[in-house]
Amino acid sequence: MSTGAAAIASAAPLPAGRRGPPALLISALAVLFAIGCGMALVLAMGVRIGDAVAAFAEGAWGSPYAIAASINRALALGLVGLGFVLAQRANLTNVGGEGQIALGGIAATAVSLYGGAASLPAPWSFVLPMLAAAVAGGAWGGIAGVLKVKAGTNEVISTLLLSFIAVWMVYGAVQSEALLRQPMTTTASLPESSEIPDATKLPPLSADADTPLHVGLPIALALAAVVAVVLGKTVFGVRLRAIGLNPVAARRAGMRIGPAIVWVLFLAGALGGLAGAFMLQGDQGSLKARFSSGYGFDGLVVGLLARGSVPGVVASAVLFGFLRSGGINMELAAKVPSALVLVIQGLIILTLAGAAFWIDRRKEPAR
Amino acid sequence: MSDEMLAVFIGSTLRLAMPLLIAATGELVSEKAGVLNMSVEGMMLTGAFAGAIGSWATGNAMLGLAIGLVAVIPVALLQAFLSVTLRANQIVTGIGINILVLGATTTAYRAILGRHSRTPIPGLDRWSPPGLGDIPIYGEAIFRQTWLLYAALVVIAIVAWVLRHTAIGLAVRAAGTEPRAVDKSGLSVTRVRYGAVLFTGFMSALAGCFLSIGDIHTFTDGMTNGAGYLALAAVIFGNWRIGRTVLASLFFGAATALQFQLPATGVNVPTALLIMLPYLMALIAVGGLVGRQTAPPYLTQAYVR
Amino acid sequence: MTAAEALSSVPAPADALASPRAAPAAPLLSLRGLGKRFGSLQALADVDLDIAAGEIHCLLGENGAGKSTLCNMVFGVYQPEVGEMLLAGRAHRPASPAQALASGIAMVHQHFSLVADMTVVENLMLGQSRGVLRQQECASRVRSLAEHYGLVLDPWARIQDLSVGERQRVEIVKCLMREPRLLVLDEPTAVLLPAEIDGLLEVCQRVAARGCSVVLVTHKLAEIRKVAHRVTVLRGGRVVAASSDPAAEIERLVRAMIGRSLEGLDATAGALIGEVARSDDGAAAATPVRRQLGDETLQCDGLTVRDAHGVTRLDRFTLVVNRGEIVGVAGVEGNGQSELAAVLSGMRPASEGRFFVGGVDMTAATPKQLTAAGVAVVPEDRHAVGCISGMSLAENLVLDRLDRFRRFGLLDRKALRSEALEVMARFDVRAAGPGVAFGGLSGGNQQKAVLGRELGIRGLAFLLAAQPTRGLDVGAVEAVYGHIRAACARGVGVLLVSSELDELLSVAHRIVVLYRGRVMGECRAEPQARDRIGALMAGHTAQAA
Repeated sequence: MSTGAAAIASAAPLPAGRRGPPALLISALAVLFAIGCGMALVLAMGVRIGDAVAAFAEGAWGSPYAIAASINRALALGLVGLGFVLAQRANLTNVGGEGQIALGGIAATAVSLYGGAASLPAPWSFVLPMLAAAVAGGAWGGIAGVLKVKAGTNEVISTLLLSFIAVWMVYGAVQSEALLRQPMTTTASLPESSEIPDATKLPPLSADADTPLHVGLPIALALAAVVAVVLGKTVFGVRLRAIGLNPVAARRAGMRIGPAIVWVLFLAGALGGLAGAFMLQGDQGSLKARFSSGYGFDGLVVGLLARGSVPGVVASAVLFGFLRSGGINMELAAKVPSALVLVIQGLIILTLAGAAFWIDRRKEPAR
Repeated sequence: MSDEMLAVFIGSTLRLAMPLLIAATGELVSEKAGVLNMSVEGMMLTGAFAGAIGSWATGNAMLGLAIGLVAVIPVALLQAFLSVTLRANQIVTGIGINILVLGATTTAYRAILGRHSRTPIPGLDRWSPPGLGDIPIYGEAIFRQTWLLYAALVVIAIVAWVLRHTAIGLAVRAAGTEPRAVDKSGLSVTRVRYGAVLFTGFMSALAGCFLSIGDIHTFTDGMTNGAGYLALAAVIFGNWRIGRTVLASLFFGAATALQFQLPATGVNVPTALLIMLPYLMALIAVGGLVGRQTAPPYLTQAYVR
Repeated sequence: MTAAEALSSVPAPADALASPRAAPAAPLLSLRGLGKRFGSLQALADVDLDIAAGEIHCLLGENGAGKSTLCNMVFGVYQPEVGEMLLAGRAHRPASPAQALASGIAMVHQHFSLVADMTVVENLMLGQSRGVLRQQECASRVRSLAEHYGLVLDPWARIQDLSVGERQRVEIVKCLMREPRLLVLDEPTAVLLPAEIDGLLEVCQRVAARGCSVVLVTHKLAEIRKVAHRVTVLRGGRVVAASSDPAAEIERLVRAMIGRSLEGLDATAGALIGEVARSDDGAAAATPVRRQLGDETLQCDGLTVRDAHGVTRLDRFTLVVNRGEIVGVAGVEGNGQSELAAVLSGMRPASEGRFFVGGVDMTAATPKQLTAAGVAVVPEDRHAVGCISGMSLAENLVLDRLDRFRRFGLLDRKALRSEALEVMARFDVRAAGPGVAFGGLSGGNQQKAVLGRELGIRGLAFLLAAQPTRGLDVGAVEAVYGHIRAACARGVGVLLVSSELDELLSVAHRIVVLYRGRVMGECRAEPQARDRIGALMAGHTAQAA
């Protein structure tokens, strides 16, 4: 879709201040509807609803550990969602979260293992890999921005393709010892990186091993606050909105569209890359072949569900964090394929996309 | 590369390019009419799944094919309903459908066939044009393909002709360039677009069936593995013209074929790089590095009277 | 042979104007008590109307009176809420254009619906054929139809290569091919050269003579004088007057249309409806300016713009605008005006040539630099370039000067609001408050707002106003020109681009004419120059009598 094609008719968020209970209600209804369908599917598979729900609840919030794990998952999802919402303000749809996470993971692993981060004093030992991840993810997003400015390339296609490429880059990186693969001591050595040094892991918030919450939580919340302020209260935020609504008029008013587009996609990508760092340094500890494992697309759904609001991102991220944890346990304990969660996500997306028809009705011109 | 290897390479290229080609042609029709279906991936997967299950359940590959084509109708209608009637964001709905279909087919497959994810199923027969299949060395490898491949080539030629020389083709092309003209001339933009999306659905399902019952003779979770997005990229690469789209699909097929061939020739390229190659090529195409892009002006724009 | 006759290439029909006839007993189309709302706007109310077979019925009214809405309802684009329509005595309730077409009603809109990259034949076959396309057949049918009605058309031309007047002919042929009983033309002359207008009116007469009724929507009195059998006047969505002998009752009709008498009407507004103010009054509005050297505010030198296909859209445009002067740029839309505006506002680079503002070369300047240099632009399509409908009125009013409202790194919304209120008061922009969505304002208020923002540029030196009064009612037109004149009196140079020749004649000091991107000529803005300017607009450089 070249510059010749008009802007995508997006399910753009309403102008600031116009979002009211109806939108929130719609989101909630969409979630309930999707979950209802999910339950129907469970029944159709012959599994008892009670078992499925119990397994889900156990995995999601059944113990302090489960809750903490859900929240940790929510952090990565929330960051990707934040990036999505930020870009959406300028009418850019970033669907490359998966790839940005992947690239962030690669960068963070490389810097942690071979970049000398471990020998730095705290907090730099774990902040440096995070920064590297943010820059790497940002660069990945920035590429899409440059392509859009220079060639009019639709950023959905470009971020999507970049995403595929990046995921395979992770695969390639952990296949070869020359890159990030751990030394193959036996034939059973899995293709993954060595474990990153403890100094580069994100320090936990409490000494209690049962609640593995780490510093990522306050960092993510702080970032969310920053993004909210930027979007709602700064000149930059107004400019982003102007560019998103009418780039031609924005240009006429003196705004520089090209740099803004590249910047916004860079920032969105950086948040995605940071999510990858959180996943590596906070949870997984080493880079595996299927590192991003769908978090990017989940984050995309989180962003969509939020309908342009930062508090919406936080709420959706938490919801999906718990959904994921619950889904995993549902598969383990109740033999319900975790793919069911995908069904629920898909339904949420579709319901919201369709509902925009009624929500945005009042924006429609009279003639 | 020896003669045999070249023959195998060409044959593989055709085989791997076919699903892309079929799906891309279908999608081209939709995009000419102004609708972008990111859900090609999902529709392909639906066809692959339904075709496989149908084939397995009835023991007849042809019936499976038919079931696959029927099963995609609700998915295509959903896409059309959301994009055309509800005027939802076409990209978001496409991705939503893909996720939904991935989840649904994976869940359903597990439920029906349990852990036996590689159950062999009755597949479509192979065929080769008389005479051509008997050429020494090349004949067998290149021309002996699933008969669906040849059927698809015929369909694609028909599509190209219809677009240029019939009233329906005119309406489709106008719907993406100037939908108001279609509306004011008494035709229904909605009908034209619904029809286009349904057609894309059929072609995508056909491509999916090609994968499951034509080629591999089984179904695996998410077996389309991004082929739908490659089909979209092929349309862009082809600048919305059928001839170029066919070429683009062949390119991508060749890139994938290389994945299997290069190691055998002794060239040591990491698999990851080869797998990435089609996506990389697609990225280069959309980055405008292969010439100016002239998309239908009203692509992704819902029509409001 | 006059220029007009040479151009129109339509042989004058035997009797140009059928004598006015009384309405026949059974009208072709009857409207009773028609009403239509759009949200809170009552677009039409209580409309009663009769159209006889074979007559030319003019719908007269200024912008916003409801004429287009009425036509769109007859054509099935909108559906009425109250009232009924009768076609040849039977109920007429088309739910879509397709149904209206099937009933024998065809319409040519102001904005054409033609597919640009297809040929005339392909466009005509759209929706008209089934199965395999038989293009040769269609082409010969086009040729014979065109001859029948006196239109000239090449069936194999691509729409994108045709001029606006030619495209309109395609639209008309498209309608005539369906052999309609009623042909509706919505402001067809707005996009035509003065000479083409005569050709169109003659086509209308031929069509009516063959039994098909014509509804001609217009706000120009000259057209009514020439062809109308009957006239209905709309104002504010209601029928306020009707006449079966329009030529004799023009005064009454105009009074009904604008709600007050012609006397005392601002010359400009009067010009809008084709009433060029009587020579002495008109000239008074244009005070000659003392021209001094060094008084130049805008200098264009050979500005040339070539589009992506290499076609020259603006050809060596050279012009000087002095401080306190209003220079009019006359010409039918599409002859380079938009390219000129785009270059002067920094939105598009000139392929060749330069321009200077206050002596400084601004050819390669960005929009921001131009604003800083005191260049204001009121664009012809404010929705595309001038404003952002989704943002609030206040935000739109400060779109180009947001940096002034930064406090401690954050946006100072209070200061923004008070600035907006000030502009609203000064320019009489009526809205519930500065925070309302810009898109919710009426066209007139939106235009006043854009003008207010542009005239508020610091160090304003030069204003380019492109089609500033299009779509506005008389009141808003007066307001806009009032502000432009005031700016002019303060020493701002104004370049006024308009396709409404009469407006220019009453406002501008001198007029240049653009035709196919070239300046065809220049003259003082006085009523006597009208014919000469009209000829220039059609590309005639030779002096016409």
